[in-house]
Parts: sequence; structure tokens; C-alpha cells
Amino acid sequence: MGRPAAVVSMVRSDATQAASYTPEELARYEAIVQRYARHVYNVAYRMTGNEADARDLSQEAFLRVYRALRRVERDAPLESWLYRIVSNLYIDLLRKRPRQRVESLDAPLETARGELTRELPDVTANPEAIFERNQFDSTIQRALGLLSEELRMVVVLSDVEGFSYEEIAAMLRVPLGTVKSRLHRARQMLQQRLRPYLEARRRGWEE
Amino acid sequence: MTLNHHKAGQLLSAYLDGELAAAETAAVQDHLMDCAACREAYEDLRVTKAALGQLPPAEPPAEFWAVVREPAWRERAAAPARWRWRLPVLVRRPAWAIAAVLAVLALAAVPMIKGTVDRLHATEIGVDLYVREHAFEMSTEPLTDRAYLGLVAGDADLVLVGEPPRAEGRR
Repeated sequence: MGRPAAVVSMVRSDATQAASYTPEELARYEAIVQRYARHVYNVAYRMTGNEADARDLSQEAFLRVYRALRRVERDAPLESWLYRIVSNLYIDLLRKRPRQRVESLDAPLETARGELTRELPDVTANPEAIFERNQFDSTIQRALGLLSEELRMVVVLSDVEGFSYEEIAAMLRVPLGTVKSRLHRARQMLQQRLRPYLEARRRGWEE
Repeated sequence: MTLNHHKAGQLLSAYLDGELAAAETAAVQDHLMDCAACREAYEDLRVTKAALGQLPPAEPPAEFWAVVREPAWRERAAAPARWRWRLPVLVRRPAWAIAAVLAVLALAAVPMIKGTVDRLHATEIGVDLYVREHAFEMSTEPLTDRAYLGLVAGDADLVLVGEPPRAEGRR
């Protein structure tokens, strides 16, 4: 699926000609914010798993849109470009923080009294918690956080934001087959981790 | 088209998403009829996908909106020199403006006052005496041409005693 060349070239935006935007151009920027800001923030949040990084990342993405506004074609599909920015910014973020360690929830926790096994919240013991939005959100968010960023990006774009394989391939500039296999692997891993939780949740609803 | 169990398993996600071609879709359906393990795997994938779809959208904080709606202020913060110089410096710093005006006035006033005082002094004592005094005064300053001052003072002396100045006499 071809994207207009003009949209692609905007990535190399460095000019700061912002001061001289006309009211129409500013209105166009406002329309872009209206349309995409929540989605961009949501993807950033699901990728980073915390509010501060999600905010920085999505603000930076919109700052780039703002700077490149003149080169954004009218009515051009921005999604591909915008989510690629988010993805690249996220990779930059990871590079800047190599010390941040990804902990597997399966690994035992070392303590002074010996090893402890970590558990995802045991919702069967507390049926009320099943219905708590926060619990659901944080459990899935944690499982997402354990995926590699490649798998996470694909599964967030597909299952959280609802993009097609073709759209995701264009956003991330990877072949369609790669999207397909990454998504499948991501779902399998999530399913393994979330199965007890999701089953308990379903039983909770049936009761 | 028939699929083995492994291949069918690999296609379950794409089948779930409706991203398979018609022939593949039919083949996966056939396999699912026969294979309980794949039906279960399919159901697990479906539940997982549904759970991700049910995640509530993360609500951006107010600061996010403030920045994204008005990124211009960040541009300014990033490049302070550029926008500041657009305002004339004297408008931004009235104290500097007043100081500058006072300095110009002082620079103009000092020679004006000194010139007036000198002229009054010259009329009082006579031009030639004044020139002589002034030449002597100046000879104490380090960078003056003392030989020339000596000549000027000498001429003034000659005039004072009633002789014509040498310079005119030689010409």
C-alpha cells in the first residue's frame, strides 16, 4: 500500500518555521490534534506503560507534526507517519535508558528469606476485583510490558487500536508476513500469561 | 487445499482477523472442524484479542493537552534568541533606554560646556595669551607633539611682545 511521497519526506523535518503559520494552517494543526491525539497518546501509553513517558513521547510526536505542518499534504493519511514517529521515539527512549531492566514475571524474586514466586493477582480469591477496571487494565498492561517492543508495537496497533495488517506493515515499514507472524507470537505469549486471569474473569461474569 | 496441524496453528491469528485469502480461510475452517486442540487455541486467541480490545483508552493528562494544543511556546523555549530580537531592545528594557539617552546627553554636554568656559576665558585674557597657556597645558599630556606646541607657544609669545609670528614671517 503506497503512501504519498510527501508524507514520507516529512520525517526529515527539522525546520522551525512555526512562528509564521497562517490561521488556516493552525486550524489544520488543531484538526490533526482533535483527530489523532487520543490515539497517539493511547499507543504511547500502552507501549511505555507509564503516564510520564507516554506524555513525553506523544508530545514530541505532535511537536514534529507541528514543525512539519507545511509539508503535510492536505487530507493526506497521517496515521502511518504519526505512528512510525511514535514507534521510533519509543525505540530512542529505550536506547537512552539501557539500564532499565525488563523483569520477567516468571522469574522468582530474590529476597533475604529466599526465593519468592511472583504471581499475577489471584482474582479467583477476590471476585469483586474481577470487575475492577484498574485491575484488568494493569494486569494486561503488565503482560504487554513483558513482550519485546517489536511484538508489543504490532499487538497494540492491531488489537488495541484496530489497524489492519496492511496498515501496520506500512507504519512500521516491515513486510506483511512479519506483521502476521509477530502478531501471532505476541497473542500466544499474552494468552499464556493471561489465561488464568481471563478464565477467572469469564467465570466471574457467568456467576 | 488441506493444512497440517502446525501450519493451521500458525494461521489462526490471521484467520481470526479475517486477513487470510479465501482458499486459506476455507482450509483453516476445515481443519478446525477436525481438530479440538486448534479449536481451543483459536478460542484462546480470540479471548486474548477481545481482552486487548476492551482496554479502556488511556486518558491523556491535562498538561498533555496544554502542550499539544499550543506547541508554539515550546518552539520559543527551544529558540529564545530568535524571537526575542524581534522586539526592539529599547521596548523590552526601558531602563537601558533611559541610561543610553543620558549617556548621549552627557557626551554632548561635556565638550559644549568646556568649549564655552574656554571661550569665556580666552576673551577675558586675550586670544594669544590663552593660546600660549593652552599650549603649555597640553604639553603635559603624554601623546602630544611637543615640538609643535613649542612653536605655537613661541609664536604666541612673539605676538604678545609685538612681533609678527615666525610662521608668517618665513612665508
